[in-house]
Amino acid sequence: MSTFIQIILRSLETGSIYALAALGIIIIYRTSYTTNFAQGVVAMFNTFVVTFLFNKFGLPLWLAVIGGILSAILTGFLIDVLILRHTKNVSPVAKQIITLGLIMIVLGLAPIFFGVDPLRLPRLIESGDLGILGASISYNGLFNIALGLAIMMGMFYILQRTKWGLAIRTTASNEYVARLMGVPTKNVTMAAWGVAGVLGVIAGVMTAPMTSVTLNLMDEVQITALVACVLGGFQTFHGPVIGAYIMGIVRNLLLFYVSSVWGGQILYILILIFIVFRPYGLIGKKIVKKV
Amino acid sequence: MTKKKNIFQKHPAIGFILFGLLLALIPTLAEMGIMKNGYVTTIGGTLIYAIAALGLNILLGWSGLISLGTAGFMGLAAYMSAYLTVDLNLPFEVSFFLAVLIPTLIGILVGLVSLKIEGLYLAIATLAVAEVLRKTFEELGKYTGGFSGKSADYPTLLGLFELDRTTMFYFIIFVLVIIMILTSNMMNGRLGRALNAMRGSEAAAQAMGVNLLTHRLIAFALATIFASVAGVLYVHFVKFSYPSTWSLAMSLNFLAIIIIGGLRSIYGTVLGAFIVYAVPDMFLKQIPFFEDLSYVLNGVLIILVIIFYPNGLISIGYDIRKLFRKLTKGGAKNE
Repeated sequence: MSTFIQIILRSLETGSIYALAALGIIIIYRTSYTTNFAQGVVAMFNTFVVTFLFNKFGLPLWLAVIGGILSAILTGFLIDVLILRHTKNVSPVAKQIITLGLIMIVLGLAPIFFGVDPLRLPRLIESGDLGILGASISYNGLFNIALGLAIMMGMFYILQRTKWGLAIRTTASNEYVARLMGVPTKNVTMAAWGVAGVLGVIAGVMTAPMTSVTLNLMDEVQITALVACVLGGFQTFHGPVIGAYIMGIVRNLLLFYVSSVWGGQILYILILIFIVFRPYGLIGKKIVKKV
Repeated sequence: MTKKKNIFQKHPAIGFILFGLLLALIPTLAEMGIMKNGYVTTIGGTLIYAIAALGLNILLGWSGLISLGTAGFMGLAAYMSAYLTVDLNLPFEVSFFLAVLIPTLIGILVGLVSLKIEGLYLAIATLAVAEVLRKTFEELGKYTGGFSGKSADYPTLLGLFELDRTTMFYFIIFVLVIIMILTSNMMNGRLGRALNAMRGSEAAAQAMGVNLLTHRLIAFALATIFASVAGVLYVHFVKFSYPSTWSLAMSLNFLAIIIIGGLRSIYGTVLGAFIVYAVPDMFLKQIPFFEDLSYVLNGVLIILVIIFYPNGLISIGYDIRKLFRKLTKGGAKNE
């Protein structure tokens, strides 16, 4: 039983990371109408900023993280203003390829700024474990879970209850009409890129202590988050988040109870079978096709 | 208005063969010292990617179905061919056949799935398939060599002709030309029209008697066959295969190739492959200051092409001709 709880706690921690990344992808998808394949690399870049501020400039970690968040907002704004704004006439697939071009740019720039050596980033809370029903989890893990949930709650509160959230939802449902109604869609999209960048860098700072900070820090997270979006459905904001937590939990359960080698693959195959039967994800609605 | 067709429009195959012959000059140019010797490898690789991208173009350009799994299938074929020729000592032709057949069967399965899901969901479902394959390459160390990779040799054709780098290069061109001719014939015939109709409107296509199931399966089968052929050629030309090669980044590169080159354009696909793969190696790295920035510049180039040439770079030809005509006309008026 204690192993089971242990696994669930660990999964909630990784699930938070996936959920943050997935939320970043879905916010951009809903406001800019493109799948952001670059979400992971941009997060990687900003995590490098945090690591660099911490290691080279000797800033305290929390200050470094704030620096990373500022740079994430800045990169998000830059991407939107410099590139995405000029893609009104571009087909949806071509828009996705633009984010691929972004991946190349970021992957090319990162070694020039930060060097090629892997860097270390410590945990936010260095030490201490908490025992829950025989299972133990580090304070840092607990903090990550709580932070993840708090950010989700905050985001959903903003989306559902505030004027800004209403603007985002209007833009997501129909950009043209939103503009007619006086919603500043340009600012909404720009803000969405900033928010996605922040969500990415937080996920990156959570991931970094588990490995080292390298160019492919976020690859695994990025792919899991994309699949989580499909599992949860692209039509809602909360679907992908739920999908991400489910993937975190089920993956670890499969890895522990079924096969430590094939667990990941089994999860993907299960999800494939699932979306054959529910093509629009857990929460998604069927899109009615007009002839 | 009937336009007089020139010989290339009447018989596109002649154009493709001429194109192949032109490419075949490259090793000679390299030997004469006009080109760097390493370019043969770069261009050979580029042509291999063009083959896989042509398959994806049939899928995305003509049929309107998307796949992010190209790299996974290409890798599967590469590993299979390497294992069959090196470990089991099968002749190249047999392993070629098997290494194309088995990924194709999986590709057809994905085609069945595509009847239920569409668009973005299909893209990420195929991405999941590719991820499963890539992780399998990592874990099945006995067959694939795991993280340290799997090596293969230049093939021996018909048990007689041992190929080296140059002859392998000719072999790649030969396969590419055949695939270009096949694509052109299929896509300008009944199949191409049916796929075009399916892309435009499924309901209308069905009403005209196009069977959605068969045509989606055919589209996926063709795409996987081309990707597998490219995979086999890759492993016997580059002679090495790592699991990390067959990642999402590579599948995205294939998408970039056809978007940049031009959807539904065969020459465009080859042009796109050159821009994505050969340009950074052959040109951008030559500019002294930008040496480290070649990857960045390529990213910028991709974004600029998409923003300014949404129909693909192949349409640049028409634009230049239009500009030229405008200039000459302007000149005539001035006289």
